[in-house]
Formats: sequence, C-alpha cells, structure tokens
Amino acid sequence: MSFDSFLENLSSTPLALAISQGAMAFPMLECVHVVAISAVVGTIAIIDLRLLGYRAHRRGVRQLIEDILPYTWGAFGVALLAGALLFISSAPRYAHNAQFQLKLLLIAAAAVNMAFFHLTIYRRVGQWDELLPPPMPARLAGATSLCLWIAVIFLGRWVGFTLA
Amino acid sequence: MPNMQSAIEWLYGTSVSSAIRDTSWIVPTVQAIHICAIAVVVGSALVTELRIAGVIAPEESLKVVAQRYLPWMWCAVGVLLATGLVMVVGEPERVLANRVFWLKMGLVVSGVLLSVHLRRPLLRSTDEGHGQPAKALAWGLLILWVAVIFSGRWIAYIS
Repeated sequence: MSFDSFLENLSSTPLALAISQGAMAFPMLECVHVVAISAVVGTIAIIDLRLLGYRAHRRGVRQLIEDILPYTWGAFGVALLAGALLFISSAPRYAHNAQFQLKLLLIAAAAVNMAFFHLTIYRRVGQWDELLPPPMPARLAGATSLCLWIAVIFLGRWVGFTLA
Repeated sequence: MPNMQSAIEWLYGTSVSSAIRDTSWIVPTVQAIHICAIAVVVGSALVTELRIAGVIAPEESLKVVAQRYLPWMWCAVGVLLATGLVMVVGEPERVLANRVFWLKMGLVVSGVLLSVHLRRPLLRSTDEGHGQPAKALAWGLLILWVAVIFSGRWIAYIS
C-alpha cells in the first residue's frame, strides 16, 4: 500500500469522517489546538527568555525548568493529539502541504535543540544555575528554541490559508 | 443597529481597509503575531495564577512572581489590541457584525479586570495572605482565558 493510499484510508475512517463532516468537531479541535500550542509556546518562552538572561520567578534555571516543563509537556501532548485529529480529517491535503511539512520539520528541530541542550550545557547547570546572563551555549539554545517555536506558530497559521 | 452598519460600511471603504484585504500576506502574518501574543498571556497567566492557587513554587513570594510576569502580560495585551485592530479594519463586517466577537470582548475585559484585581494587592504590599477566594478566582481566570481563545477561533465559523 502506498503512502498516498494509506492517507486516503486514514481520512475515510469513521473518526476522520466524523471530524470532517460534523459541524462542531473541526472548530472545537482547532480551539483545543490553539489553547494547547499557546501553553506550549508561552511556557517554553519563559525558559528560553531566562536562558537569554531575562529573570523569571525563580533565581535558578534548574528550579524554573522543574516548575514549568511538566506543563509544557502536558500541553504538547494535548496539542499533538488535537493536531493528529485535525490531520486525519484531510490527511492527503495536509501531508502534501509544504507549510505543514516545514512545520513538522521545525518541531523536530526544536526537539533536537532541546535534547542537545539537556545533554550538554544543562549537565553542568550547577556551575551557572543563577548566573545572569547564562553562558553562551545556553543563550544560543534559548534563542534557537524561541525562533523555532515562533516559526511553528507562523507556519501553523499559514497552513490554514494555503490548504484550500 | 444602523449606526454599527454604517460604521462597518465606512471602515470597509477606507483605503487602509482595502490595502489590508488586497495584500495577501497581511492577515495571516497579523493572525500569527496575534497567536504569539496569546501565548505570552497564557504563559504569564499560567505561572502567576498557579502560584496564587498554591500549585507551583509555593516558597517564592507572590509579589516577585506578580512583578516578573505582569509587564510581559501588559505588553502582550497591547500587541493583541493592535493586531486585533488590523483584523477589524481589514474585515469589519466579519468581525464587528459578529456576536461571538462581542462575547470575546466581554470576556477579555473581564479577564483584564480580574487579573488586575488579583495582582494589585500583591504588588502593593509584602502581605502574603491569600485566602481561598483568591485561589478560586485564579482558577476561574485560567478558565476565562481558555474561553477567550475558544471564542476567538469561533469568530471564523459563526456570523
């Protein structure tokens, strides 16, 4: 079975048809998706800005991350689930949309950036926990994350205008 | 409302309005900036309200938490009003003649007033006393911002 016929089958499942043909389902899923992405980007931005040297409610980076990251992950899970349901409602059109493809790529890049941060400079957070501004690698990770997530929001909105 | 209808027609006829409509990238760009600013409000409100509710960082002072996040929130509200205004001018009929838009505006005013009500005593004094009513209001405020986002998206679907 080719990828395209898989996408066709996906969008003909009863669940996908309920979303694409129901009056309320699609807009409601969009609402949930926007609430969740706002919480993802809003909480991640607090950490990114702290890495760039802006104070948050905690002196130390470690405590700030421990406070906030569980909410970021929770919201990301909701955004992913709502996004997946929006996707299956017209899977072939989303999958072939250039803005949608780039959006997924940038989310993957944000994940790589985060993993790299946690495996490198964050391992030595004890040495710079309360330092303002933080060391250059941490500032770079914060700036990269902030730019990627803003781009993800722009591309997400652009999908709605280019899907047609 | 005849006055509203004539205001919509006047606004639609201005050159700014047609410029916004005729330039294809303006509306998506402005909407994307609008969502980025919503993210700032949600992030600031989430941390401040959860602190007031006693859920996160209980050992940090309420005053410091309110002080750190409130400027970001006001800045984002300013961006939201400016970008929202561009959308109103570009498509006045779609927005001003829409019941859901006015519901959203009512919820936004309530959200701003409730935010001020919850933060003003914190910014003024070192008094850490925050009783159950404030905790309940903090949860209510988070639900209110969710309702604002829902009504914002529904403007596109209900006329």
